[in-house]
Amino acid sequence: MTTDINQTITQITEIIINELKLEDVTPQTFDPDLDLVDEVGIDSMDLATIALVLRDVYGIRIEEDDYPKLTTVRIIAEYIDNKLTSGE
Amino acid sequence: MAEPRIRKRFEKVRRYFFLRESTYDMTNRCNIRCEGCYYFTGEKQFAAENNDLEDWRQLLESEKKRGITFVVLAGAEPSLVPRLCEACYRVIPLGAIATNGLKTIPREIDYRIHVSVWGNDRTSLAIRKAPDMLARQMANYRDDPRAVFVYTFTPVNIEEAREVTELLAANGMKITFNMFSAPVGYSGYLRHTPQTLARTEQVMAELLAEFPATVLFSPYNIVAHTRQQGLHELFSCSYPRMNPSTSIGLGRSFRQYRTDLRWDRDAACCVPDTDCTDCRHYAAGSAVVTARMYRHATDPATFSAWLDYVDTYLAVWVRGYEKEPNLHDAPVAPPPNN
Repeated sequence: MTTDINQTITQITEIIINELKLEDVTPQTFDPDLDLVDEVGIDSMDLATIALVLRDVYGIRIEEDDYPKLTTVRIIAEYIDNKLTSGE
Repeated sequence: MAEPRIRKRFEKVRRYFFLRESTYDMTNRCNIRCEGCYYFTGEKQFAAENNDLEDWRQLLESEKKRGITFVVLAGAEPSLVPRLCEACYRVIPLGAIATNGLKTIPREIDYRIHVSVWGNDRTSLAIRKAPDMLARQMANYRDDPRAVFVYTFTPVNIEEAREVTELLAANGMKITFNMFSAPVGYSGYLRHTPQTLARTEQVMAELLAEFPATVLFSPYNIVAHTRQQGLHELFSCSYPRMNPSTSIGLGRSFRQYRTDLRWDRDAACCVPDTDCTDCRHYAAGSAVVTARMYRHATDPATFSAWLDYVDTYLAVWVRGYEKEPNLHDAPVAPPPNN
């Protein structure tokens, strides 16, 4: 499980870096516990864009009401993991 | 998103996802008094005016620091305080001003200028008590690329929209559409009915088809703003007044400042004191519909319709943004609002 979560974290980080064109950071140096809103500076439209890509990559639906809970890459990875495990 | 023209449009509009707005009442004075005016409803009209340029400059600097990148200068009539508007422009150079257009806003203030139109001059005289409004508005903003005329549909001016659109088209000007949205407690004759909403939908569609170079609108704008359900029921309003979340998006960043430079979260939306159940306001839709990208990403037609809406929003609000031809010419139903 830990390995899977770490893989998911790396994938999500790559998606965020690519989609938001973040500079001076790599999946290896990106702290998965950074607060995406307060510390990375992403906003609701950025999160919606990422959610669209995650939906296509993982085949899961991310509810709009859940956006406020998805504050870090680690939390997003756990959210996806739960969705995949429960088959939602 | 796999279709190249959809991907291309998405890439064009997403460059503006950095826009984070707040709105500011600039003065509690106006040079006309309109039936159903949202400004002269509720408490905000009684806030004291602060005309100190340094106070405004400091406010805008602090707004910039907390991430605001787009300002909307509104109530009651910003053209009466041009120096305050200029002070805002010097700090945050992206924005729009809502004006009745009777007094020209200096060209140095390079914001989008929204000139409100409530019908032909006969109707404007009756509702706004000002003679020759459209003629004066057009004279003030002729050959001014900042200007877009905002035609507010009410039950009594639907059939005049063609006359106004033709006139603006003949003079190379732009128009977009708004819907009268009743202030809290308003039960006057300007409140829309199912019949007037249906007729407005029809007229908007005709004008959009006939004047595509003049009318900044899309079929999905028509759907979103002429349904019997208001914007909140269709999309869940994301402004603080209706959205308790402070974690992300408008619920986190939006403020509506009064003329005393204070704001109140419970009243914070782009048209405070509007009856939320009747809100179909163009400014509200520009944020509320635009924010709902994810739920529109269900199929190419629905996502194209959403992109047309965002493209319209940017063309109406952002100086220099050019509207593209609409991607989807047929109306689509709004996605479910769970």
